[in-house]
Order: sequence, then structure tokens, then C-alpha cells
Amino acid sequence: MDIAPFVQAIQASPPAEWMRTSVKAMPIVESVHVLAAATVFGSVFVVDLRLLGLIDTARPVTRIAREMLRLTWVAFGVAVIAGALMFSANAHTYVVNTAFRLKMAALLLAGVNMVVFHALTYRTVDSWDRSNPVPLPARIAGLTSILLWVCVICCARWIGFTKGYDFSIPQNTHIDFQF
Amino acid sequence: MRALAAWLQATHASHTIQTVSWVIPLLQSIHILMIGVVFVSSLMICLRVLGGVRTDEPFAAVSFWIKMALVAGGVAGTAAYGRSLARLALPGAGFSVPARAGAVLIIFLWLAVIFLGRAIAYDREVWGSLSLHA
Repeated sequence: MDIAPFVQAIQASPPAEWMRTSVKAMPIVESVHVLAAATVFGSVFVVDLRLLGLIDTARPVTRIAREMLRLTWVAFGVAVIAGALMFSANAHTYVVNTAFRLKMAALLLAGVNMVVFHALTYRTVDSWDRSNPVPLPARIAGLTSILLWVCVICCARWIGFTKGYDFSIPQNTHIDFQF
Repeated sequence: MRALAAWLQATHASHTIQTVSWVIPLLQSIHILMIGVVFVSSLMICLRVLGGVRTDEPFAAVSFWIKMALVAGGVAGTAAYGRSLARLALPGAGFSVPARAGAVLIIFLWLAVIFLGRAIAYDREVWGSLSLHA
């Protein structure tokens, strides 16, 4: 499958053009992306730590999961939108970037881990909701989740150092930073 | 302030961070991960007040707030104390009385943090009419 025309279309789209030409767009969208990603990690981390029996062991797993995962999904939605905008601006450089590919792989694996956990282990949650330790598969899912999300964040940060930004200081440029 | 920045930049650690290519991305990744932990932790406290989460748990006991203040003081105090120890050491004669008093104070401060942490679960029993629990 040749994805080149698809990537080309993304990079030529109006939002991509806006991301490239606006002085304010990139820093704002990047900040929102980092904030949302940090929130995704932090909220998933709370659920994972409960599964591992390290925090909140007196509270039911379902309750913690319900409270935290609302936050997770909102933040994840924001992160995806902001991330898609950043991707669109330089789609060509992202698709060939190793750190970006590794990040997407880790993200995919985190998704698989979540689906497997919910489809198999979580079905019997009623019988171990208030338990500590929780069944081994649930503990493994929690640890796997932490490791994969750490990979996602690390790979994500590595993209910025490997995708070929020009870090030289621009000369004779007038930048209007009036937000 | 400039002198401090110049000193900081000339330290061995700073030089390593500047020259080893993978250190900065690694530190930034850890930085983002920790922001996530700190941000969500404080969010939990704020959302508890706003009524969104953790409504099955009693809110912050008296012990909790004293503990938080002591943790802040403990971290700052321990750091400042550790740094100033080099100055406080008497040549060949161990440490002065103030330095020893500081050591005892810090030990008791952290003991208080640990006990207050446990006392959060027994707010009414420990604090009686002062308790924040209804």
C-alpha cells in the first residue's frame, strides 16, 4: 500500500498550512499536547498503581477506574487532536521518523494491552474489586501499561530531537509575540 | 543571580548534560512523566473539593494538612541542612551543638510526618472537636 498520496494530502490540508505559517500555532498546540499527554499518563498511572497494590488498596478497583478513566479519555482526545495537528504540519518527516514509528507502535501495544485486559481479566472484576492483591493477569496488565506509556512519552520526546528541526537562531527576524 | 547561573553552567553535571546527546531528551521525558504524576495528584485533591472524584473517602483530615506542611518544610529543611553541614563541621571535633540540634529536629520532623500520615485515618479520635470530619 502506498501511503505517499495520503501523507501528501494531509500535509497540504488547510490546518497543516495554518500550523506551518502561524507563529503562535505550534507552541500553543505543542503545549496543549504535552499537558494532555502528561494527564493521560498520570491518570492511567493511578489505575495501574492500584492494580499493582501500591496505592488506594482499600478502594474498589472499579471506582478508581471509573473516576480516572473519564479524565484519561478526555485528555487522550485532546492529545490526539493536538498531535494530529502537529503531525499534519510535517507529515512527510514524521512517517519516516524512527522515534515516531516506535511511539505509534508503543501506543498500539498500550491499546492492545487495554483491550485484552478489559475483554478478559476485567470481566470478572466483581469477584476481586476490593481485593489486594488483584489476580496476576490484572497486575501484569498494570505493569505493562506503565512500561508502555513510559515508552510512548520517551519516544515522543525523542521525535523532536530526530525529525530534523532547524535549531539555529534566526537572524533579522521580526516575531510578533502578542498572544 | 547571574553568578549563580554561571556557576551552575560550569558544574560537571551541567557540562555532561550539555555534551552527552541523549541526556536532554531523557531528562525531558522524565520531566514530562513527573509533571503527569504531580498534575494528576493535585487534580485529584481539587476535584475532590469540586465533588467529582473520591467522594467515598472522607476529606483531608487535620492530620493531612499538618502533614503536607511538614513534608514541605521537611524537604526544604533537609536540603538546606545537608548543604550547610560542610560549614557546620568543627575541625576534628565532630559537630557543634546547633548542628546536632538540627539533626534531632529533622529526625523528629520526619517521624511526625509518618505518624500524621497514619493519623489521617483516625482524625476524629486524634483531634476530637478540632476534627474536620462532621
